Amino acid sequence: MSNHQSVPETSASNDSSFDIDATYQAILANEDISTPLAAILALTELIQQSSAGTMFELVKALNDGAKVLRERTPNPIGLNAGCELFIAFVTLFPHDSDSFSNLKTELVKQGRAYAREAQEYREKIANLALGFIKDGSVILTHSYSRVVMRALLRAHERKRISVYVTEARPRGLGLRTYEELTKAGIPCTVVLDSAVSYVMDQVDFVLVGSEAVVESGGLINAVGSNQIAIIAKAANIPFYALAESYKFHRLFPLSQYDLPTHTPKILSFPSAVTPDAKGPGQNSADQDAEKITIPKHTRTMTTEQIACNPNVDYTRPDLISLVFSDVGSLTPDGVSQYLVGMFAG
Amino acid sequence: MTNATETQTQTSTQLPAVATGVAQPLTDSSPSTSLNNDRSSREMSKAEQKADPSSSSPTAPKPQREMTKAERRELQEKQRAEKAALKGQPVTISIPSNQQPSATASAAGPSTENNASGSAAKTKQQKEMTKAERRELQERQRAAKAAAKTQPGPSGAAQSQTAAPRNVPPSPSPAVQQHPRSGAGGTHRKLEAARPDGLGGADARGLRIFSHFGTPKPPPTTKGDIHPAIVRLGLQFAEFKITGANARCIATLMAFKTVIQDYVTPPNNTLSRHLMTHLSPQISHLVAARPMSVTMGNAIRQLKLEISGSDIDLPEQDAKNALCQKIDNYVRERIIFADQVIQETAGSKIKDGDVILTYARSSVVEKVLLRAWEDGKQFSVIVADSRPMLEGKKLLRVLSKVGIPCTYLLLPAIGSVITEASMVIVGAHAIHANGAVFSRAGTALVAMMAKQHSVPVMVCCETYKFAESVQLDSFIKNELAPAGDIFDAFPRSRGQEKLQTTGGPNLALLNPLYDLTPASRITAVVTEVGVIPPSSISSIPLALGRTTI
Repeated sequence: MSNHQSVPETSASNDSSFDIDATYQAILANEDISTPLAAILALTELIQQSSAGTMFELVKALNDGAKVLRERTPNPIGLNAGCELFIAFVTLFPHDSDSFSNLKTELVKQGRAYAREAQEYREKIANLALGFIKDGSVILTHSYSRVVMRALLRAHERKRISVYVTEARPRGLGLRTYEELTKAGIPCTVVLDSAVSYVMDQVDFVLVGSEAVVESGGLINAVGSNQIAIIAKAANIPFYALAESYKFHRLFPLSQYDLPTHTPKILSFPSAVTPDAKGPGQNSADQDAEKITIPKHTRTMTTEQIACNPNVDYTRPDLISLVFSDVGSLTPDGVSQYLVGMFAG
Repeated sequence: MTNATETQTQTSTQLPAVATGVAQPLTDSSPSTSLNNDRSSREMSKAEQKADPSSSSPTAPKPQREMTKAERRELQEKQRAEKAALKGQPVTISIPSNQQPSATASAAGPSTENNASGSAAKTKQQKEMTKAERRELQERQRAAKAAAKTQPGPSGAAQSQTAAPRNVPPSPSPAVQQHPRSGAGGTHRKLEAARPDGLGGADARGLRIFSHFGTPKPPPTTKGDIHPAIVRLGLQFAEFKITGANARCIATLMAFKTVIQDYVTPPNNTLSRHLMTHLSPQISHLVAARPMSVTMGNAIRQLKLEISGSDIDLPEQDAKNALCQKIDNYVRERIIFADQVIQETAGSKIKDGDVILTYARSSVVEKVLLRAWEDGKQFSVIVADSRPMLEGKKLLRVLSKVGIPCTYLLLPAIGSVITEASMVIVGAHAIHANGAVFSRAGTALVAMMAKQHSVPVMVCCETYKFAESVQLDSFIKNELAPAGDIFDAFPRSRGQEKLQTTGGPNLALLNPLYDLTPASRITAVVTEVGVIPPSSISSIPLALGRTTI
């Protein structure tokens, strides 16, 4: 879910030799680290390299660094969650130590320790979700999520499960889920995004990962999650979201179009109606070379057409049954109360 | 009543026995007893059913029962005749029939049946007699009361209600249901006749609903020493010169500052203890002028806390200055600064090209819109408004003066414009622990309409408006606007006398000022601690480390 777009590594940070964006990208190269954690680690590095002398300067430097990172990514939601959490932590950290550099060292140590501990969150969540997965369950999941993979593999150790996964166009990450599950021996079938309602009555519950869980208790995840949630609600199937606690974010979208990822380009109509010469797009480089035959006489969207589509969407809290997190299993209302408790003070 | 008519038709048409094939033993041919045939046959069948499982010989008890039944029939006829003579009304004949099966039903075996029915008949007779007499008495009493009373309406309803319980204790329940109904009808008719024609329905005691709020009264005459600032404030409240939760709270606190400064501690008393008792009549005066708002209540509670916590050793002027300082701090932090934070937060939700629908006039929403316009956002506003207060006109004036494109319409027309709106922003009088928003009457309609059309609803509300109670509907707690033309008349093109501002002899005006919007219709609440869903309101005091709001 993190984007791996290559960004030109120009030095554009406040501190002379410290390029926060390069650090961030380097950290993100590690597959196991998600965007909020990478942001926290990058900011920790910033503190390490910073020459700030007071808390005020330090917080200002952190905010500037976060701003730089935000400008470089098209989907800043996870990044914002991590940055806000870390900056709030720094601000509220009791600074009664005599020397400021001691404080900085302490902050760096805490930041790294938190990141280390946060690597274990996925395991915790997988164990928590285990109790909700019955033997013989049929699970529907969406696209590719590391925490969902961990939960499914964990469940597979003790119980029999079978999984439907959506294709999750346009990036097709559902196929990656399919590969990994099949390799582990879990029966898995890829389902068209448009066939979710067809399959919903066969499913016991829906399990998705998350990019962020927002203040309203709603979910921000790869585009298609909202549709699945609505269909699940209509079919009375539970919809569970797995989210580590650093993904809880104080954003409050009032609608799909209130997301920071919504640009005027998305869902826009073309300015001049020119006959599109391209016609059926070729099976582009997006799809990997599979050994299995790709059906002929199918059409796919062009890259320009895909660019008019969103990458993430917002699922309302009343459609979500429970959010499994390392702090426990929360109802959507509970997420907001947790966030208010964390940040409002 | 319906039962009585049914039984009447039965007797008149002389239907044959309806019972299930046990009609042979009953050979009485007198027409008035055909009904008895029905009943007796039914009892017979019932008794038979009871007799069969009881395994006693079915033939032996029957003659006994028949004999007693004949006796019983005679008794009943006598009683009915007496009743008819006494009342001259259609007698509720079904009463004995109801009583008999119940009496027989309670009996265990045939022999006890006889005894039960016999004794039931005897007690019935007594009850009938006394019941008739009692009814007479009650009618007379009611008539006397109606003549003595001059008030119409609910007192009559109250009377009929009290008449019902009076009827209930002496007689078994199925019988009595008809008496209060007929009694109530009769009483009402009597009262209608008794009421003098000159009485108008203008006072709210004629209201059937919301009568538990009492009438909006004119401002009270001052008793005791009420500070002139409080007197003036009371008048301003009563005449609705100062409206709005924030405005009333600030005005109250400013008035209290004057009171505190003018206060002199009597000898042998401490400020922290006596000031409270000094303030109480002032507060009651304000409440008498107009019921207290939640904001005023919260502020006064905080003030009392500060007063009781004030240092005893401080010299009086210092203590008074400290209190005034605390009041200023409260106003500044919980209202002024909170509003500024809300302006920024809510303003960030407004984007270029938005069409914002708002209802009536909220001081917070006005500030939000003005601030967003100053920040250069390009949006337009739809102001929905309603009588009698027509507060939206003030908002419209303020907004159009700075150049915001506005549309103004009345509440019934929002159905036509709701699809144009991209967001609804409203204010609140109070917000309850279950997330329900108590606001100007009409807000709930706007929120529900918006929800129906998937338009997000944002409520702007400071945390000091939090009421710790749970409210489920608009009836339990509300306020009625006084009748009369105290608000601006609308429209000015017509003469004011065409407006209905007071009631008439058969018309009572009902003007509740507030209503409750359930939490499910609200998308977000913007407070000074951030944007939160309405269900999380109750976790804010805890999060802020406070025990109360």
